[in-house]
Amino acid sequence: MFRHIALFYGHEIRATMRNPAWSLFGIMQPLFYLVLFAPLVANTTPGVPFGDALRDFTPGLLVMVALFSSLFVGFGIIGEIGNGVLERIAVSPASRPAIVLGRTLRDVTMLILQSLVLVVIAMAFGMRAHLPGLLVMLLLMAVTGVFASGLSYGLALAVRDVNALSPMLSFLSMPLILLTGIMLPMSFAPAWMQAVVQFNPLYHTVEAGKALFRGDFGELSIAIAFVSLIALAMLTTRWSISSIRRITL
Amino acid sequence: MIIDTHDLKKTFTTRKRRGAPETVHAVRGIDLTVKKGEIFGVLGPNGAGKTTTIRMLATLLTPDAGGGTVAGHDLVGEPGQVRRKLGYVGQAGGVNDYSSPRTQTMLAARIHGMSKAEAARRTEEIFAALGIAELADRQGRSLSGGQKRRVALALGLVHRPPLLFLDEPTTGLDPQNRANLWDQIRGLREEGTSVVLTTHYLDEADALCDRLAIVDHGVVVAEGTPSELKQRVAGDVVTLRLSAPGAADVLRSAHCVREVREDGDTLRVYVDDGEHTLPVLLRLLEEHGLTLQSLGMQHASLDDVFLTQTGRSLRDAS
Repeated sequence: MFRHIALFYGHEIRATMRNPAWSLFGIMQPLFYLVLFAPLVANTTPGVPFGDALRDFTPGLLVMVALFSSLFVGFGIIGEIGNGVLERIAVSPASRPAIVLGRTLRDVTMLILQSLVLVVIAMAFGMRAHLPGLLVMLLLMAVTGVFASGLSYGLALAVRDVNALSPMLSFLSMPLILLTGIMLPMSFAPAWMQAVVQFNPLYHTVEAGKALFRGDFGELSIAIAFVSLIALAMLTTRWSISSIRRITL
Repeated sequence: MIIDTHDLKKTFTTRKRRGAPETVHAVRGIDLTVKKGEIFGVLGPNGAGKTTTIRMLATLLTPDAGGGTVAGHDLVGEPGQVRRKLGYVGQAGGVNDYSSPRTQTMLAARIHGMSKAEAARRTEEIFAALGIAELADRQGRSLSGGQKRRVALALGLVHRPPLLFLDEPTTGLDPQNRANLWDQIRGLREEGTSVVLTTHYLDEADALCDRLAIVDHGVVVAEGTPSELKQRVAGDVVTLRLSAPGAADVLRSAHCVREVREDGDTLRVYVDDGEHTLPVLLRLLEEHGLTLQSLGMQHASLDDVFLTQTGRSLRDAS
């Protein structure tokens, strides 16, 4: 299985690198938020230096990258059903988990690279982040990526139709994003909303990121984010692997 | 026998937007045996169950009933072992748009356990054999339909499988590419590869296949070599036009004549072996003083076979 994971991973990475421009689109939207929205948010908290405002804002953007790039990987696998690639691989003795895991690893690699690009740009704008905290946040991003791409592959293999997947993902990603407090701090939210966000693991991821970037490892959200996302990542990965088994026998 | 299967069945349940779920008996009980090194064709109209059959044989679908051995392993019990022995080229082809034929073929070879160097060598070899060496490093999406089909064949053959499945291999190809593909499939037989293909083209089944199973509505309606089938079911057709009536009864009395049909002023005489029967028929007509106006002879086609078995023409059924 590990040999096959490595083979699929290598193949996917090479294919992605042949079209490097595409992976840039995944970070375009968060990048616009960084350049065109962060300065506005910074002005809502007068007296806080822009660098510190960015430090609170950037973790949210990282979670956005995770959703916008990893949640949409399912489109690729629907394409591979359409052109028969998945069917051809299914007739080969390829390890079934490896078919999914090779792709998931590629998605996580791309996500980490995209996150790094975003962090570097934020730093160029004056953000200062705690280095060990930043590394732990990247690890959390990797787990988030496994969760999101597992969910995307699972949904894609369940509906097998681009026209159905697209609205489904928008429906899912919009509330997930809004209920993280990326746009505006959740302290502005009414009480019911503050209660609801406690159940959004991505809210805790953003909170964890803010704490980690400050160098505060005592924040409870860090533990909540890791535990809930590792559990969710395991669930969605199992789901996508069993979906692959089902469609390929 | 490279394939020895019996009573394969597959039923699908499709959910419709409204009303009760619909049950489709795609394959109702098919026995197939394929000898080593032959080109075996599954001929039938669209929706006859050809693709479902080949997908069951290639481990892509589990049969609801029946089973047997494919490439020496139990189809239902050891699909993993079966997969090591076969190549499969589906209707969609399986060529990735966003990577090159070389990297895809290398990956396929390495999944089958070849080392990197071995995979590279074998990829070169199969590309050269299929005449696609110059396409090796193009992006999949830039290839034409015929080129893609050859890349698909390379992907199915890179691990030297003893058994190759081709689902509608020439559908949509122009005559030139079609002829090339036929030659390549014949070349595989020379090397000892067994080939199972589905087709709805009569001429393809006739010209390319060593043996055929004609399927309709999920069952095999006739099986044999193309010439056996044509011989067994219809033989040859002699068409005669005569100036005087009475010839039909004279011809019916001849023991070598199977059937005579009057079609306007033309008589269609069905015989087993036209080339040898024709002189006999002519002598018989001469003995009775009947004068011929015109004479023709055709071999019965696979369409005649399909017609006699199902009551429909394959051209209309598709």
